[in-house]
Amino acid sequence: MSAAAATTTRLGSIDVLDGVVLPTKRDEAWRYAPLRQLAELTFGPTVAGLVQLPFDLDERIGYLDGPRIVVVNGAVDPERSNLDGAEGVHLAALADVAGATPELVVRHTDGADIVDSIMAFNLAYGTDGAVVQIDAGVDVATPIHVVDVVVPGSVTNASSTGVVIQLAAGSTATVVETRLGAGSSFGGSNVRTTIDLGADAALDHVVVQDLPVNQVHLGYIDARQHERSTLHLRSFNLGSSYGRLACHVELVGAGAHADLSGLFFGVGEQTLDQQITVVHDAPDCISRQTFRGVLDDSSTGVFNGGIDVCPGADGTDAEQSNDNLLLSDRAEVNTQPRLEILADEVACKHGATVGQLDDTALYYLRTRGISSSDARRLLINGFADQIVDDLTVDSIRTWITHRLGHDHD
Amino acid sequence: MLHVENLTASIEDKQILKGLNLDVGDGEVHAIMGPNGSGKSTFAHTLAGRDGYDIGGVVTLDGADLLDMTPEARAAAGVFMGFQYPVEIPGVNNMYFLRTALNSVRRARGETEIGARDFLAVAKEAMELVEMKQDFLDRAVNAGFSGGEKKRNEILQMAVMQPRLAILDETDSGLDIDALRIIAGGVNALRGPERSMIVITHYQRLLDYIKPDFVHVLVDGRIVESGDHTLALHLEDHGYADFVNTDLNDAPERPLAGAPS
Repeated sequence: MSAAAATTTRLGSIDVLDGVVLPTKRDEAWRYAPLRQLAELTFGPTVAGLVQLPFDLDERIGYLDGPRIVVVNGAVDPERSNLDGAEGVHLAALADVAGATPELVVRHTDGADIVDSIMAFNLAYGTDGAVVQIDAGVDVATPIHVVDVVVPGSVTNASSTGVVIQLAAGSTATVVETRLGAGSSFGGSNVRTTIDLGADAALDHVVVQDLPVNQVHLGYIDARQHERSTLHLRSFNLGSSYGRLACHVELVGAGAHADLSGLFFGVGEQTLDQQITVVHDAPDCISRQTFRGVLDDSSTGVFNGGIDVCPGADGTDAEQSNDNLLLSDRAEVNTQPRLEILADEVACKHGATVGQLDDTALYYLRTRGISSSDARRLLINGFADQIVDDLTVDSIRTWITHRLGHDHD
Repeated sequence: MLHVENLTASIEDKQILKGLNLDVGDGEVHAIMGPNGSGKSTFAHTLAGRDGYDIGGVVTLDGADLLDMTPEARAAAGVFMGFQYPVEIPGVNNMYFLRTALNSVRRARGETEIGARDFLAVAKEAMELVEMKQDFLDRAVNAGFSGGEKKRNEILQMAVMQPRLAILDETDSGLDIDALRIIAGGVNALRGPERSMIVITHYQRLLDYIKPDFVHVLVDGRIVESGDHTLALHLEDHGYADFVNTDLNDAPERPLAGAPS
């Protein structure tokens, strides 16, 4: 494994690769990953200055037309981006921020929180990405869009992108990350997002992963939350042959609230992997993990959800649920809760279900004249909608509904 | 309009309907009564098209072979069944469901689909019939509904679908007297020369509100007695014992006769 030729400065030191070994099947967090396939990948920026995309980007991401940072093959594309945020909103290329004011993104670039080789490659070989910074007390009404597009071309590369989202104390914002790909060759993306929420800040974070099924996506979100801050994550893990959304949230300030939910919807041979950990490291924090999987054909879903309650994190209120709908007898789901509780007065709940479409409900709908395929879709969407309905941005909700409907026409 | 001849139905080698004959004319309301386990619900489901039964005999609706049709095709042909246990469908909005149902049937009949605004007018009229408020449409189908609300939702659907043949399976079960009055009022308002109904019930009580043209007694998979509404009154006084005792000499497992609990 090697990096593709990097044309600009690396974000992190190559030292981060010292001692790094690829994950193996023995690593619980990588048990369902196609490790042999991942080993064929490089992790550099693919082709610098790629101008042509094989699809109309505006059509693909037309659901948001406000400020946006578009990263193509690991580098910000200024032509396709619109960095004009409102007052108190700073949108920039990560390479620029890391060059001019590296101290602002040090938590992303110092490598201290890197726990696996995929993240180490991201830092060592990645050169650019997106930075979203909101000043203290600013309430940003318009959603900010971070778009990551990969077109691997002839190289088997998973382009490495960094995303830094920082909300200073008392600010609120909605950030939508859309991750796309194109082209018929194998490759993909490796996106590492670092989020810092100041006291009383509130972030609505939507992540849509919709790469083509001949590519892989490796996503990692590292969030740190201070006093009374709120993180609402809504993830939609839809594309890729192997689509991974790992999320590590540390609640370091008292009264912080993390509400993480997601939908994974697999068809064909897809494997969609959610690796979620919430660390309660301060008293009186609340966390919720609400993930739903719909798995058709021979697809595989993974939910590995952890709640770690550190000593002193008294008054923790943590819940986790993973409900799954299997649409085929070849589909499978692997769900595993991990709870480690080292504090007192802790309320922790977890539950998982695996079910199939309810025959009686299908029959009921059909007696109302609804065709068998429409009835199926209605029930599937009804199950998925309990995550989708939670989206506050109407245009994204509409797009997701459309996207889910299309696959089952 | 409905012709049922020598209908048999079995499930996993257990025969439930054993040669049922029934003719329902335009605009007629037929009540079917019978003890538990006599096959009343099975009869309703064979008309609606539930999978899993081994079925014999003939059922036609306006001359068309009903047994050959999928449940959705039967709905398009004008069959509607009100369920004894309406199914909860979390996540599916009641209004959306109703409009999808109506438009599916309209499409199948080659009619134009009805738009959201026009549908709202249809739904409003139907809601008034069963004394429901607007928020009823905004909730998920039957999810978290009380027993009475579920049954009212069935009649609401019937009012929207305007079926040719309505089969109401134990629509009165689990209802208090107020809900029963509302539902019976809705059903009566939907009676008409073009619409026939089969009202399946265990109790005579419902028939005080929905007065049938004919009453049939179903015992052990066959109709053993037919008459006018006075037959229901007779059953009220005497239970099913008369019919069970005279007609079940060949039945290996005799259903519990008499007053239901």
